[in-house]
Amino acid sequence: MLDLRLPSGSFFAATGLILIGYSFTNPHAPMTDGNVDLYTGAAMLVFGAILLLLALRSRRA
Amino acid sequence: MAASGAKYGIMTSHFYWIGAVPAMLFIGVFMMPFYYGSKARSVPEYLKMRFDEKTRGLNAITFAIMTLFSSGISMYALAKMFNLVLGWNFNNSILLSGAIVLAYTYLGGLRSAIYNEVLQFFLIVLGFAPLAILSVMRAGGWAGMQQRLPDVMTHAWRYVGHADQNPMGVEAFGLVAGLGFVLSFGYWCTDFLVVQRAMAADSMSAARRTPLLAAFPKMLMPFIVILPGIAALALTKMGSGYALPPKGGGYDYDQALTTLMAQFYPSGLLGVGLTALMASFMSGMAGNVTAFNTVFTYDIYQSYIKPKASDDHYLTVGRITTIVGILLSIATAYLAAQFNDIMDFLQLVFGFVNAPLFATFLLGMFWKRATGHGAFIGLLSGTTAAALTHGLSEAEGKGAWIANIHHFPSQMAQNFWIAIFAWSTCFLVTILVSLATAPHPEAKLRGLVYGLTEIPSEEGVPWYKRPVPLAIVVAVCLVFLNLLFL
Repeated sequence: MLDLRLPSGSFFAATGLILIGYSFTNPHAPMTDGNVDLYTGAAMLVFGAILLLLALRSRRA
Repeated sequence: MAASGAKYGIMTSHFYWIGAVPAMLFIGVFMMPFYYGSKARSVPEYLKMRFDEKTRGLNAITFAIMTLFSSGISMYALAKMFNLVLGWNFNNSILLSGAIVLAYTYLGGLRSAIYNEVLQFFLIVLGFAPLAILSVMRAGGWAGMQQRLPDVMTHAWRYVGHADQNPMGVEAFGLVAGLGFVLSFGYWCTDFLVVQRAMAADSMSAARRTPLLAAFPKMLMPFIVILPGIAALALTKMGSGYALPPKGGGYDYDQALTTLMAQFYPSGLLGVGLTALMASFMSGMAGNVTAFNTVFTYDIYQSYIKPKASDDHYLTVGRITTIVGILLSIATAYLAAQFNDIMDFLQLVFGFVNAPLFATFLLGMFWKRATGHGAFIGLLSGTTAAALTHGLSEAEGKGAWIANIHHFPSQMAQNFWIAIFAWSTCFLVTILVSLATAPHPEAKLRGLVYGLTEIPSEEGVPWYKRPVPLAIVVAVCLVFLNLLFL
């Protein structure tokens, strides 16, 4: 069986980090006030971290 | 789907709710024991075991054609997006998307197709949820959208009494029987990709759980993919600074999603959103190209053209088939470019192929008297009935290539009725021919038909792992969602 958690976890963690990085340099979109890059990036980072954590735990067990 | 959201409103969610969920419950609870019990490796192979060689051959060939159409539609959608968003030439975009998918299916095969599928699902959810939230908030929330839009856009059921009352041009019977029964059951219960994935499970109960658990995210998808489309229309009406791009006398709905992203997403997330879209189209293409490859190599080439060759030989044939499959997809992509809404086109293809097939499976799995001759002639006449319905009726200037004896208010209504006619014809003809031909011996049908297949007992399994209680939970959620958006 393929463990999909490892590649998807790293993918979303990395995308999250890139988005968070973008959020500091970037002007806002025409029709939004909030920092959308930051919020979405943080959510992706958390999601990716959870997947990685699960993958590592099952590997140790 | 955001395009349909802007064009048809919340009624689009029928494609997810009645158009998928009941069928997923049915396959998990009732049909999976026979697929799993038969140990078939593909849908055509089940047909060979249950009926005979010619039924399998017919299905393998029509299925191969259908995968090419599906992958061509995904390719067209992808190329159109390159064209609209990045301003690339349509022809070059087609070639580029073909080349990318060729590279990764050729190198990684089924494994890379499955990786892409899982990643694209999460990417779509995470990448589009902010768009749904932002655009709906900006349009004044759900209540604000209900105020600004005609009632018909925000109610899923209230206006399906008559075809004139809703923008889809369909009435309740066509919707429920055509989409909810024939097309959705035809897709979910006989689709190679769906069935193959479930059969890869390590036990019968895991195989039965797969479609039931998948029904949960399927029910919630409309909120992520359809709501932004409806919000786009509301924002256009309220003069918020965002407007759907015009096309002819109306709007260019296909551009709803990308123009909305350009307004609401800063460049970082915009990149993620576009990547999610590309990944989703590519996974559609890759899944179909790998399915085409399997069915052609295994069910057509190995069975009829050159049996008993070495594994290496079949591997080489599989590789060549991948390339040929992509070239043929390019041809169907240009065909898809002739139709204005891709979803309508897809439904048309399903009407020709899947709708009669579902009647064959239903009879094959639940009626042991059904015979190979019955199934074969039933399938042929079902597909013929689909073609005749298309040739004799007209909708939005399409069809009626034989004579115009009926007018449908929309292509969608026409497709639903094509499916209904195809299914009924196949169902009746299969029964009649089966009764006139000799039955299969019961010993041959063991593990393939209801009444001759052992279904494992589920004592001691916790309720949330048993198919029937799971299915009931899903059904209750589905009814609740429909009442909410009645």
